[in-house]
Amino acid sequence: MNTATTTHPDAASRKPTAEEPILQVKDLAVSFDNGKGPRIQAVDGVRMSVYPRQTLAVVGESGCGKSVTAMSALRLVPTPPGRYDRGELLYNDGRSVVNVLELSDKQMQRIRGDEIAMIFQEPMTSLNPVYTIGDQILEAILLHQHVKVKEAVEIAVKAMDDVGIPQPRERLKAYPHQFSGGMRQRVMIAMALACQPRLLLADEPTTALDVTIQAQILELLNDLRRTRSMGMMLITHDLGVVAENADVICVMYAGRVVEYANVFELFENPLHPYTRGLFASIPKMHQKRHRLVTISDVVDDEEQFRKLPGAEDGVRPWWPWHDPPKDLRSRDYAAGDYYLQEVKEDHWVGVWRTEAVSEHESRPPDLTYRISDDPTRQKE
Amino acid sequence: MISYITRRLFLMIPTLIGITFLVFLIVAMSPGGIGAALKGSAGAVESDAGANARAVQEAYLEDRYGLDDPVIVQYGRWLARIFPVQFGTRDQRDPTGEVIRYPKDLKVPVLAGEWYGSEADLELPDRMPDYIFDHTWDEIHAAGEEEQEAMRESRNLAYRAAANEYAGARAAYITARTNIEQTLVEYANAEGLKKAVTKDNKPRPGVLRRTGINTQNEFYEKVQSDGAEAIRALQEARIARERVGAIYRAKPYPEVGLALGPVAIVPPDFGRSFTRGQPVFKLIGEALPRTLLLNLIAIPIIYFIAIPSGMLAATRQGTWIDVGSGALFVALWSIPIVWAGVLALGYLAHKDYLGAFPVSQLHAPEANSFTFLPSVDANGNWSRGYALDTLWHVCLPVACLVYGGFAVLSKQTRAAMLDNFNADYVRTAKAKGVAGRDIVYKHVFRNSLLPLITMFASLFPALLSGSVVIERIFTVQGMGHLIIEAINLRDRELLLANVLMISTVNLIALLIADILYALADPRITYD
Repeated sequence: MNTATTTHPDAASRKPTAEEPILQVKDLAVSFDNGKGPRIQAVDGVRMSVYPRQTLAVVGESGCGKSVTAMSALRLVPTPPGRYDRGELLYNDGRSVVNVLELSDKQMQRIRGDEIAMIFQEPMTSLNPVYTIGDQILEAILLHQHVKVKEAVEIAVKAMDDVGIPQPRERLKAYPHQFSGGMRQRVMIAMALACQPRLLLADEPTTALDVTIQAQILELLNDLRRTRSMGMMLITHDLGVVAENADVICVMYAGRVVEYANVFELFENPLHPYTRGLFASIPKMHQKRHRLVTISDVVDDEEQFRKLPGAEDGVRPWWPWHDPPKDLRSRDYAAGDYYLQEVKEDHWVGVWRTEAVSEHESRPPDLTYRISDDPTRQKE
Repeated sequence: MISYITRRLFLMIPTLIGITFLVFLIVAMSPGGIGAALKGSAGAVESDAGANARAVQEAYLEDRYGLDDPVIVQYGRWLARIFPVQFGTRDQRDPTGEVIRYPKDLKVPVLAGEWYGSEADLELPDRMPDYIFDHTWDEIHAAGEEEQEAMRESRNLAYRAAANEYAGARAAYITARTNIEQTLVEYANAEGLKKAVTKDNKPRPGVLRRTGINTQNEFYEKVQSDGAEAIRALQEARIARERVGAIYRAKPYPEVGLALGPVAIVPPDFGRSFTRGQPVFKLIGEALPRTLLLNLIAIPIIYFIAIPSGMLAATRQGTWIDVGSGALFVALWSIPIVWAGVLALGYLAHKDYLGAFPVSQLHAPEANSFTFLPSVDANGNWSRGYALDTLWHVCLPVACLVYGGFAVLSKQTRAAMLDNFNADYVRTAKAKGVAGRDIVYKHVFRNSLLPLITMFASLFPALLSGSVVIERIFTVQGMGHLIIEAINLRDRELLLANVLMISTVNLIALLIADILYALADPRITYD
């Protein structure tokens, strides 16, 4: 039964496949100065895309480059020490497509907060302690919308009401230290959503919160995403959150995308050993084990790397800690030994650029999939 | 907030008492003690017993300023005089503005009534009835202006006559008392009682009393005769004192302050400097404007250069502006003021070199005849005027005050700003689309204010205390000069008034800083 058409009429009126992605990351590489040592390559050859009404979950362990990728979309990586080495970040503002990395500071400031908004993971420190909540939300509204202060206050009150802050009008005069962590994160979200952005970058929005608040906030973000046809990049390392909320999952490791597929495909059929290790390490109910499976239990097993479709042709999953295969055909740029291949339809895996894929150019990861549009996958 | 400020203001009273008492105690314990400069010996051991005249003078001064009282009594008396509430007899103020007090009781010479004279000889004279003036205060107030003047003058003359007579009698008594003390010393020396003589060549009555009098001593007769003379002089001085007291009780002068039943609210009396003989209030009133003039120019210059350059260094971290300003300020800070001041005088002010600036003082000698602003008189002569003259004189001292002050404040600003540049809320502001300038001024600087407020609290008292070195080099008679003089001469009144003023300003600066903290950071509240 297709409930999507009844619950979200606007969703049905559009043809999702015909839509353009809001954000397309093409071969992004970001590195950081490391004093006397070699530069640290935080992100190298990352590709992904986000569509309206879609949640792209970026998963991976700490330091794998998730946040740097998201911050690059707003060009918030401090330079120096950071540097954009390669790649494009194509943002579609509905009229034209621009490369975020090539915009002037002025143009960038216009996009920030207005069209692309970001929620950071530290609600306790992400608000300026010396200004009231109202000042900080109004600042964003007055910067981007040509409204009078009175109207801006109404917008702010509405935004705070939307995120479930009780008595929003009185709370405008409160200072951040008078709020709890969950309330502060709501304020952050209200601030991000006040200007009705087209793309929301949520960098671990619920990591610092307890589980009940976490569920509320994610529910809220999902509602807003559907009603405003906003795209969302959800960065997290909580696989439970991913399973509940994501449409498409991008698994990252060591600055590169190792696997990219829609949520059902990825959970049912993980292809990269790292992803399998990630899933295997989740403790399961009704399963008594002396010790959990660790990721290294999986990735240390050479056999795991020979199970990929096309393995018999010499396609090997990319893994930085392994010696590259003997038939490597490295290209002459930083991530030239690595290649994101569509190993089967709508499922990408990061592989070594071996003989088998040396001349192959599969299409970049690009999935318009949304659970809400999928008639076979409706939540009960 | 109001209650907090009130509480802090009240807490200042015990703090100030503690500070002044401590300073007073340290000075009292230093060689020579309070009023060392007044004493001819200035604390040095003087063996020349023939310096009788000097001893008389010392005794007179001790008596006049109460220096022979214990230190605690001296401090208590000072405290009572500056305390704005007074009990009992109220002080009166004579036409010259000096506060007149009831004459102090006279000290009895040592061993009087024991070794010489009798108890009966030492009885206090009878209390005289209060003096009756020709006119009562009511009559004076009712009279016309000229008559009033005459009436006031007649009261003044009556008091002055009695006071002069008492002063003479008291001087005679002090001479006689010094004589008997010296005789007792000679007596003790003849007896071979070394312990009975203090380092200051004064007798120790306790030791003498214990040994008992030796009638065979060659100075026995002299003790008797000098002692009788001292008691006679004492009784005469006491009668003169009683006469002054009778006039004083009749209130020859208007009373000081505002009476509220048994107590009176009075302006604090800081007394007179021992060494200069002028009221302390007047001395500070002369020195303070000079120091304030220098510092009110210097401190804003320091702030207006150091803070923006610190901000600039922080926003351009690692560029030549950052490194250059840091190096320059630290280099300036490292130059000793003494050296820089003398060089500035020698090269810039000395007429054999550049001669572009005046050598000393804050005004030209003829500055009082200047107009305030630059002007051209009828003959076409240009006059630079008082304001420009002052500015011209102030240039070198202010430059010396200022140049070393940039480094600390600028580095503090830079460090505070850098701390906040990396803060999460700055990233949030950037993500909102706030422009770089607004991030610096609105978000970062506001959060960097706390260390700057702390700096302000520590710099502010320097406004009043002055710089001794700069004042010496440029011959400015400012507060630094005054304070050093007060310490060197152990000038009790001057010293305590300065300490009180500086510590009050210090405490108020701290209070202001605390209030500013609350204004700058909403997380700090005092309720």
